Amino acid sequence: MKKVFLAGAMVGLGLLVACQPAAQQAEAPKKAEKKKLSKTEKFRIALSNQDKYQKACSNPTQLVPEGIDIETFKKDMLATVKFPEGGVVGKNIARGEKLFGDPKKGGKSRRGNCYACHCGDPKIIACGNIGPSLRGYGKRGIDPKDTYIRIYNSWAQNPCSVMPRLGYHGVLKPEEIADIVAYMHDPNSPLNK
Amino acid sequence: MKKRAFFVSAVLAGGAVFTAVSLAQQQLPTHLKELLELGMHPGHAFIDEGREMFHKPGPNGKSCATCHGQDGKKLEGAYAKMPRYYKDIDRVADIDTRILACMTKYMGYNAKDKKFKKKFNKWSGPYRVPLATYVASLSNGMKINVQLDDPQEKKLYEYGKKLWYMRVGARDFSCGICHTVLAGKRIRLQGLPDPVKNKLYTHWPAYRFGSDRMWTMEDRVRSCWKAYLLYVKQWHQKKDWVKKPPPYSDWVIALELYMKKAANGATVEVPGLLR
Ligand code: HEC
Ligand code: HEC
Ligand code: HEC
Repeated sequence: MKKVFLAGAMVGLGLLVACQPAAQQAEAPKKAEKKKLSKTEKFRIALSNQDKYQKACSNPTQLVPEGIDIETFKKDMLATVKFPEGGVVGKNIARGEKLFGDPKKGGKSRRGNCYACHCGDPKIIACGNIGPSLRGYGKRGIDPKDTYIRIYNSWAQNPCSVMPRLGYHGVLKPEEIADIVAYMHDPNSPLNK
Repeated sequence: MKKRAFFVSAVLAGGAVFTAVSLAQQQLPTHLKELLELGMHPGHAFIDEGREMFHKPGPNGKSCATCHGQDGKKLEGAYAKMPRYYKDIDRVADIDTRILACMTKYMGYNAKDKKFKKKFNKWSGPYRVPLATYVASLSNGMKINVQLDDPQEKKLYEYGKKLWYMRVGARDFSCGICHTVLAGKRIRLQGLPDPVKNKLYTHWPAYRFGSDRMWTMEDRVRSCWKAYLLYVKQWHQKKDWVKKPPPYSDWVIALELYMKKAANGATVEVPGLLR
């Protein structure tokens, strides 16, 4: 990933919106609260749920953290990674494929949606070119644990990456990520054939 | 409405994947460019509709033309300088917000009337989108010239810039990730434009044949928020609870101000025609 360096630092502005760092997940209000909150208040809360790592990545370079050094950043991110009980390589390869991108839906998947940015299975032509192609990924001798960490929290390996932290945000469960890992490392997977 | 539907059916009939790929790569397919050269533009119907509405009296008997002149004479060039600060409403307004303010403040429409508000907000309604398109078209051929003379304008501009780069939500995205860092790349088959560097504000409001609708920049900005920014779909949660900033809010106007200022010097050419 090329990093784009722009001149000039962000000007510290009077925030119209309060930022409360370290809220790991945007919290939905409870039912009772829901009625009272206006759309404006809800939106303000949603923005204030920005965590301190997102904030560090919100400068014009977008890809280099500011205010947290890279090693600390990676260490903090690695500490958020939860591993599933059954190990990082799951058993349900078919589910892994579906989450990666359902071939029956042209590679779409609502939560994993890897084809938005990566190509992989040659049958899926509707694939993005934002991340590197994952074609033959399982043949590269990469430790499945690293694959797991990449999907769970890509910022543990590459701070401020454009690849979303899917496990960290709870978009994917640990067991689901393990199934994706299984799909990616399986020699019979269409990725590796 | 027939006039809005005629285009899409013809366009979407093309081969599925091939069309999608070429669309993503070159923005407009050639048969659309050709239609455009023949002077056929599905967005022109909205200008006509807006012109009609502009001259139609509101509940208190006044029409837009009462204050802004026959055929919007006094609004020529106004859109090229918007969003800007207005003393009478004491805030920075974009075209959508300004029109809503004029209708409720000066024409007898009731801001608290939910039915009116709904009709105003509505994409296919008779007020907001046609009027915005019409008023914007009165600046066609003129250069965008957003000046930050007022302190409120400066403040909102700086906030817009901050919002542009602000990474939030469950996908860690910002406007800048897709439109600055990844500009030129493809998300799936969709090409990512750079509205800031390429001064794309010039073609907004734009007719988008994919949705068969005219979009104002409010619609565009709020839709990007909804689709990408605060998308919080979690495995243990059935519903995303916040999606986009409320219409006519400072969040939207700040981003518009940021993008429009970046387009200074480029020529207004509306309505645009986009996929
Ligand atoms: C928004 C875009 C985006 C999405 C969605 C995305 N990735 Fe990535 N991914 C990237 C980018 C960009 C990289 C390059 C490294 C970096 O910048 O962090 C990458 C790198 C990777 C790598 C390392 C590749 C290598 O060659 O070392 C793996 C593995 C990976 N992604 C897997 C996935 C999986 C699995 C999914 C779906 C669950 C996914 N990605 C979804 C953008 C994305
Ligand atoms: C009773 C008079 C009145 C009526 C009727 C009225 N407006 Fe206005 N309008 C104003 C005033 C006052 C301003 C603020 C002018 C200023 O501060 O420069 C304004 C500003 C505007 C502007 C911004 C102009 C600029 O120079 O930036 C637009 C666009 C506009 N009105 C559109 C409309 C439309 C569309 C309608 C009909 C739906 C309408 N107005 C009806 C009084 C009116
Ligand atoms: C995940 C990527 C993504 C994010 C994040 C995103 N957008 Fe977009 N945006 C798109 C795509 C894709 C299109 C093109 C849609 C099309 O071609 O139909 C687009 C189109 C646009 C356009 C129209 C460009 C043109 O062609 O004239 C504007 C303006 C825009 N976005 C503004 C924003 C703003 C402001 C934000 C932040 C609130 C934002 N976008 C966030 C993906 C994104």
